[in-house]
Amino acid sequence: MDESQLLARVRAGDSAAERTLYDAHVDRVYRLAFRLAGDDALAQDFTQETFIRAFDRLGSFRGDAAFSTWLHTITTTVVLNGLRKVKRLRQRETDIDDAHEIGTTQRHAEPDLKVRLRQAIDALPEGYRTVFVMHDVEGYTHEEIGAALGVETGTSKAQLSRARAKLRVALSDFAGEWVR
Amino acid sequence: MMDQHEDPKFEKWLRDEARSYHSPLPTPRDEIWKRIEDARRHKHVIELRPWMRWVVAAAAVLAVGIGIGRWSANQASAPPASTATAGAGTRVANEIDSLASVAYQVAATQYLSRTEAFLTSFRADANRSANTARLARQARDLLMTTQLMLDSPAADDPRLRSLLGDLELVLMQISLLNPVQDGRDRDLITQGMNQTNVLPKLRSAIPAGPVPVRTEGAL
Repeated sequence: MDESQLLARVRAGDSAAERTLYDAHVDRVYRLAFRLAGDDALAQDFTQETFIRAFDRLGSFRGDAAFSTWLHTITTTVVLNGLRKVKRLRQRETDIDDAHEIGTTQRHAEPDLKVRLRQAIDALPEGYRTVFVMHDVEGYTHEEIGAALGVETGTSKAQLSRARAKLRVALSDFAGEWVR
Repeated sequence: MMDQHEDPKFEKWLRDEARSYHSPLPTPRDEIWKRIEDARRHKHVIELRPWMRWVVAAAAVLAVGIGIGRWSANQASAPPASTATAGAGTRVANEIDSLASVAYQVAATQYLSRTEAFLTSFRADANRSANTARLARQARDLLMTTQLMLDSPAADDPRLRSLLGDLELVLMQISLLNPVQDGRDRDLITQGMNQTNVLPKLRSAIPAGPVPVRTEGAL
């Protein structure tokens, strides 16, 4: 059964077809959610929300683009909106905690390369980080990223280039690792 | 021509190293599917499209205006003299009740969004050393609103009432967090949240998209 037949069955309310469609796409959705959220509970929440929205709105999917492209548009919207909510809440918490901890902060030991890389990627602006993770970590094409994020392919390329440039500066202490 | 920022060696190294960034666990397919089915079964709700929210906001303002006008009229005038006037009064009262109910729904949506953000963050932070006193304080604030919601017309909807009951329990547990046994308590609360599917139910009760009408403090 091809995907358009499967989608027709899902639209007709076939729950087995829903599960088949879910199985075909859930890994990629969950992987992207996990890569962006860095947390299993959040990744599960975002994956769940993505499929609920997809099933609810399947009637509006006209088939102009691939179903996976449409699904990844929902995924990135759900993940980025969800992370913004969590970030706002954590920021408020941090502000309150910081107010109680002024003068008690300690200098941490220099972390290793993997930790520094993670911190540098986390510190990228949201748009750069999303494009970097989708392209360099998860292997999406610029066309897929452009479609998912609703931006031009050129914008995706430009953001990736800027993300790499920022990471290169942030990781300059480790330059010996890549010039070997 | 190669861009001045391009460095193939760095980019290859970066791609290799970045594979370890937030390296995903195996997909818990069945677990997520069960949650999706459960959330869709409990799908409810206050489906407010963006344009409807503005209508609702305007309706809420109108309801308050009519209410004030009606109260002023009752204060200033004698009892109604005719049946026609009494009938018109009943209609206005019904409209006020209907609009007030919608206003309560908007306030409920606002409250549910705040609670969802708080519980999502609480669960994500369950194993971290977030400030227990602060969590407890936030939970107490939300708990107070939950209890007001339970006494409001918003709780006339049996599904929303059931959800508010679940939220009241979770928020009460968080508000009583003991800093000494913090880690164990948080694990138990998180387990309870997972077992009762409170977050999926909560998300199902929140309409998609932002909620532009600020109603904090309305209840």
